[in-house]
Amino acid sequence: MHAIAIDQGRYRRRSWAPLRLAAPMTRPPAASDGFAEMIGRIAAHADRAAFAALFGHFAPRVKSYMLRLGAEPALAEELAQETLLTVWRKAAAFDRAKAAPSTWIFTIARNLRIDAARRARRGDPVEDPSDVPEAEPTPDAALAAAQSVGRIRVALLKLPAEQAEVVRLSYFSDKPHSEIAEELQLPLGTVKSRLRLAMGRLRELLGDLA
Amino acid sequence: MTTPTRHPSEDLILDFARGALERGRAAVIEAHLGACPACRAAVRFAEAVGGALLEELPPADLAPDALEGALARIETPPPSPGSALAAPDDWIRVPADVLDAARGNRRFSAPGVWVAAFTGTPRRGARSYLLGIDKGIAVPRHTHDGKELVCILKGAFEDRGEVYQAGDFIESDDRVEHEPRVTRDGECVCLVSVDNSLVPRSLMARLFQPFVGI
Repeated sequence: MHAIAIDQGRYRRRSWAPLRLAAPMTRPPAASDGFAEMIGRIAAHADRAAFAALFGHFAPRVKSYMLRLGAEPALAEELAQETLLTVWRKAAAFDRAKAAPSTWIFTIARNLRIDAARRARRGDPVEDPSDVPEAEPTPDAALAAAQSVGRIRVALLKLPAEQAEVVRLSYFSDKPHSEIAEELQLPLGTVKSRLRLAMGRLRELLGDLA
Repeated sequence: MTTPTRHPSEDLILDFARGALERGRAAVIEAHLGACPACRAAVRFAEAVGGALLEELPPADLAPDALEGALARIETPPPSPGSALAAPDDWIRVPADVLDAARGNRRFSAPGVWVAAFTGTPRRGARSYLLGIDKGIAVPRHTHDGKELVCILKGAFEDRGEVYQAGDFIESDDRVEHEPRVTRDGECVCLVSVDNSLVPRSLMARLFQPFVGI
């Protein structure tokens, strides 16, 4: 547990403040198609150049994600590397009809972090617990996953600021919403309703996608 | 197998997608997802929001040799797939690590009852376990300290006049008293995650608890 312990207080404010300044659209949404191609090339012929390109884009973001969630820099770096190595190993399992590359990589990073917390408690070997045997892609999955991330980013920009804030805080923290509410000095009900409104609004803005 | 009719709350779906649940709790949700296309779609949406947020994070500096290090590590052969065991035919799909626990940690607890620890320490604090109960057996009336999440992996049980089937997800807290009874059709297996211990409400339950260790 100590490995991902959060530096209380000092970490709290910094965890989200810089986010609001980050320019969200640094890369055109179409890029995710390129990333899907690269994952395909890894799966098809162990393409190291494709891996390097994916690493260059995603590893620094995954590290940033881990840092925001309170990981020590060394662990954040290790988990970022492990996330991309998992992309390499599981490239053949990536299904672009189901998820955009960044969505898939987000879930890998998320699972590795949860597993790191568990291992820190038990001293177990590395293992990605995310191998849920998946059902056939159903019509729900036929969503245009490749474009979904770009569209969600545009939709996020259209959210009222206070709703976007709780969405970001919620994804970049593993704290229960009651603690997030404390940090924002808001009633829990307000945080929850903002979050629900935001997710509902995103779904609306995305229409068929959600 | 029919589609489950009892689902995790919207809050839990989001907590799962954002990574706020420890493995024991997440696995109960995952087990339900394996059986429920509607919740799978909801999770995918929430995960796509996570993907979009990941994209907009400012990149952190990596060690100068980070890529080199990663490329060196892909030379080494990937670890063996481990235990990619298939779930028994009459179970819903379950995560591999849950299946491992079911096979490796299974212990007889009381006549007609077995328990297999999955996460946490038995009898104390947050933990999860598989619980298998023979047909027709009733678990004595009890409630819980804190929240309990259950997904039925196989079979069915009745509780206060309702029938709960494989794939169903049940969330209860200390306001709910149960007295579940496994239906006559066959054994029922559940994946259970609890915050705290079970609080027996009857003498029978007090006798039952030490055996089962829940």
